[in-house]
Amino acid sequence: MKKTKGRSLFIFLFLLPSCLCFVLFYGYPIIQIIVTSFCKWDYTNLAHPEFLPSGHLMDNYKYIFTQYPYFWEALRNSLGWALVGVLIQVPLTLIVAIVLSKGLRFSHFARNVYIIPSVISSAAMGLIFLQLYNARYGPIQQIIHLFDPGFTDSVLLVRGVNFWAIVFAYVFFCGTTAMMLLGQIHGISPELYEAAKIDGATGWKREWYVTIPLVKPTIKTVTILAATSGFLLYNEVYFLTGGAAGTKSISFIIRELAITSTRTQYARANAIGLIQLLIGLLMVALINFVFGTTKQRKRGQTHEKG
Amino acid sequence: MKRVKAEHVQTNPRRVRKGEAVFCYIIMAIMCVIALFPISWVVLSSFKKDLLADPGFTLPQSIYLNGYIKVVTKLGIWKYFANSFICATIGMLLSIVMLSMASYVIARFNFRGKHIITACFMATMFVPASALTFPVYNLIKGMQLFDTRTGLIFVYACSGIAISFMVIRNYFATIPKELEEAARIDGAGYFQTFIKIMFPIARPGIFTAAILQWLQLWNEFYWASLLIVDRSKMTVPAILSQFTTSFSTDYNGLLSAIVIIIIPPILLFCFFSRFFIEALSGGAVKG
Repeated sequence: MKKTKGRSLFIFLFLLPSCLCFVLFYGYPIIQIIVTSFCKWDYTNLAHPEFLPSGHLMDNYKYIFTQYPYFWEALRNSLGWALVGVLIQVPLTLIVAIVLSKGLRFSHFARNVYIIPSVISSAAMGLIFLQLYNARYGPIQQIIHLFDPGFTDSVLLVRGVNFWAIVFAYVFFCGTTAMMLLGQIHGISPELYEAAKIDGATGWKREWYVTIPLVKPTIKTVTILAATSGFLLYNEVYFLTGGAAGTKSISFIIRELAITSTRTQYARANAIGLIQLLIGLLMVALINFVFGTTKQRKRGQTHEKG
Repeated sequence: MKRVKAEHVQTNPRRVRKGEAVFCYIIMAIMCVIALFPISWVVLSSFKKDLLADPGFTLPQSIYLNGYIKVVTKLGIWKYFANSFICATIGMLLSIVMLSMASYVIARFNFRGKHIITACFMATMFVPASALTFPVYNLIKGMQLFDTRTGLIFVYACSGIAISFMVIRNYFATIPKELEEAARIDGAGYFQTFIKIMFPIARPGIFTAAILQWLQLWNEFYWASLLIVDRSKMTVPAILSQFTTSFSTDYNGLLSAIVIIIIPPILLFCFFSRFFIEALSGGAVKG
């Protein structure tokens, strides 16, 4: 009897700190954004949020969808960046990882150099790209002048073009995910490649028929990371355009509504937060569906890992 | 096991055909250009006296160091590095200790509610920080921790639960049960078994999670720029957002400051690249 009591106490005490953190920073905030998205809560009544009158409960959502000028712009951009992330980053990560896995000379050097942008943070890269795009002294402007000498605007202020300017500031730097994938490729047993060779799968055929199917679960993880990081893009928008000229993202408008605006709209910011959370989950579900990983196969994988 | 295999492959490079090798080298060259183009342009330009007269990708005519001198003497850059280091390291330590304890219990014991807690921890991976902007901001304000490093550390300690939990729990799960039983028979209590036996054995897994978490926090911008307004308490990513205004038209100063800001992480990475890469490719991060 005494023993089981000690055991329960031990389990309880060891779980307590993490669970407290979860409740404090995830549980309670999520409940708060759900509940307050049906409230009137803005700069006029910070201390006393109150439910919207019945029949008008959905007013915040109605406002966001029909009146708030930036929601659709932000949603379009964020979804666009998510899509670009998947379409460019995933193949790029895969190519980088496969090339590095060949163990050629200089591949360690190339690997280490390629990771540097990920180490110096997206904030620093954002600031560096702001200089590269500078209309008066940036090298990008000079490259543009080669094709169009009359171009005097800033690329960051031309609608449509600036979407891609932001893309190029982050999309090529996937060193961390490429390393994850590389680790998995190195984990593939050499016997499998031997067997593939006997079956006639050599060169790129081998990568296509052996490597890629074997690291598929990690490719799924990489896809999820690329899609969500594109969808949640904030730093690049903040540093490069500050949300000007049609480049606001969902994260950007949440922060603007909740903190930076002079007429803060907490309830509406939380409502957009909830929308962001749900779309994010939907995206993950969609990627899982596309990759078609059933629970059973996943379980098989974890067994292999152990 | 995995590491042995990886080394095996690296020391016996799979035979690569000539055409394939050429393609690989082209890709590797492109990778280096992609990574180095932005950085090298900033470094080159930071030595130019008048960037407007000589823009673009050219060597500076003479080396002009005034920008650097000004930045080092006036900006007090070390303060921001110290802030970044303190916040990232303490935040990482708190979260890793906490999650090591929770992961151990979840990996080795059976109890009611285990699956719910696991699901909750894993679900945090899909909860974006920005969605919770106002509640968390409000919470930190309510705790009287707004504009303090303690507040930021608190947020850091509670972020990144899912990845660390997954990595550490998977590692604990690989340790044979007999070790624990032997310790128990020798009369060690639950707590002692954890501290003296399990924690030391799980060190590689915990180390991986620690490095990943530290790198994440060191680069963290969203909360750092939101929860701290006093310049002297800012971390490096947060102070970067002040650069464009504080230097306004002093391009030379701005570029020199950027170079100085990116040097320490690059140096740190050069010294510890093995650890970073091992942590990233550890194989524990899997869908």
